[in-house]
Amino acid sequence: MGIAALAAATTLRAQTSGGRVLGARAAIGTVAIKAWNPAGSIRFVAWDKDSVVVRGTAGRNLRFLLAGDSAGIKVGPEGHWSDGQAEPSNIVVYIPRHATVSAKTVSANIIGEGTSGWFYTVSGSIRLSGASTSVEAESMTGSLDINVSTPWVKARTGSGHLLLRGTPQDADVSTVGGTLSIATSSVLRGQFASVTGDIHYAPPDGPAPTAILEFANHRGAVDLLLPSNASAALTLSSIAGPIQNGFARVRPAAETARSMRINLGRGEAQLTARTFKGTIRLRTP
Amino acid sequence: MLVDETLPADRREHVAEHLRACAACADDVARLAAVAARLREAPPAAPAPGDLWPSIRKRIDDTKVVAIDATEAAPVSRITWRHRVGVAVVAAGVVLTVLVLRPSHSVPVEEVPSSSDTASLRMVADSVRSYEEEARVLLNRLEIQRAMLRPDAMAAIDADLRTIDGAIEELKRAIADDPNNPALRRLLAASFRQKVELLKRAGSAS
Repeated sequence: MGIAALAAATTLRAQTSGGRVLGARAAIGTVAIKAWNPAGSIRFVAWDKDSVVVRGTAGRNLRFLLAGDSAGIKVGPEGHWSDGQAEPSNIVVYIPRHATVSAKTVSANIIGEGTSGWFYTVSGSIRLSGASTSVEAESMTGSLDINVSTPWVKARTGSGHLLLRGTPQDADVSTVGGTLSIATSSVLRGQFASVTGDIHYAPPDGPAPTAILEFANHRGAVDLLLPSNASAALTLSSIAGPIQNGFARVRPAAETARSMRINLGRGEAQLTARTFKGTIRLRTP
Repeated sequence: MLVDETLPADRREHVAEHLRACAACADDVARLAAVAARLREAPPAAPAPGDLWPSIRKRIDDTKVVAIDATEAAPVSRITWRHRVGVAVVAAGVVLTVLVLRPSHSVPVEEVPSSSDTASLRMVADSVRSYEEEARVLLNRLEIQRAMLRPDAMAAIDADLRTIDGAIEELKRAIADDPNNPALRRLLAASFRQKVELLKRAGSAS
């Protein structure tokens, strides 16, 4: 198995460019990867080999660590950065397709292609794409771009921007002050929330027929951009904010000063939007 | 356990180190120790009159399925002053726990909602309480971790906490004016959930 790992590394060296091979390990298909990188970038690429290979460059005065066995592997630079300013390391980690990642950075950006697991950064950005079994992405201030095909995704950021696209089925995403944009029609169960950031829901094909989606915001707006042929039953309510209905030809089923129920098309998807004082806008592109 | 000296020796230094840094916990321990000391100094209670037990035993016998052996000696109270101190310390601990864990600001008394919203309001109120309690525990943990976090991370956490706490305060004021509004309570639950999620994220930042 060790020979297989070295062979994979050699093949990779021949096939790709940029960054030397820092290490390689044989691994089972469901290997657990624990990775960290304080600064720079860390990129995970899923492949169909039974090994973990790491390429890239470790920061100055840092040495690279690759340790563990075929079921569990640790990856990351080692060194001394007690002053909080680590030299950037830029690494690419090739992992088996069914591996589970647990990645943590301070300011390093995280990129994942076809990878599953938990991705955390304090101030870096996270960009995930491809097919995953489940994804959990969190940042304190960084921006998140989640473009995955997965049954389940959970994503959180504070002041960063969060973009959800791809084909997730079950989504639980929120920001504190950053904007939250949902540009996918595939979500069947969705919870979307912010406190002061605006929420933009713009499914290209309208919401899925059996979708149940909830939007909650305190002071930020909830902007529902639905195609004219959307099929949805909407319940909109705001304690102190305005509700704007851009579907002029559709009469609400019920309406008060602070709430509105409106059915579009056959009223299949269930959408609920609540704000305290944020504006709720229902409109067509 | 620290007050009644049942804390294992290998944990005492860790707890003592925390008390040196946490004034709130140190105050709690000091109060509990004072209660225990006063109870130890209290005179032992006078024994019950000797002729009281037969009538009590007869009442128990009359309702029991299996009669007590008539030759069994009347039990003498074995509850010593140590037992009383132990019970009182536990009770004081419960009271102090309630006092420590009570909300830091007043929560409006919930009026009886209309019948159609009763179950919904109760469920949401329960989830708010649950989130509020979890947030309190996580906040305490964050205070312990504060020194280990980078200043910029801590500043971001504090800013987000202020944003969420501001929303929570606005919602609580609105609920005080309109306690039977389920939408307000759902928004409050959502805000508390945001707070709990933020504090969990903050815990990973160290």
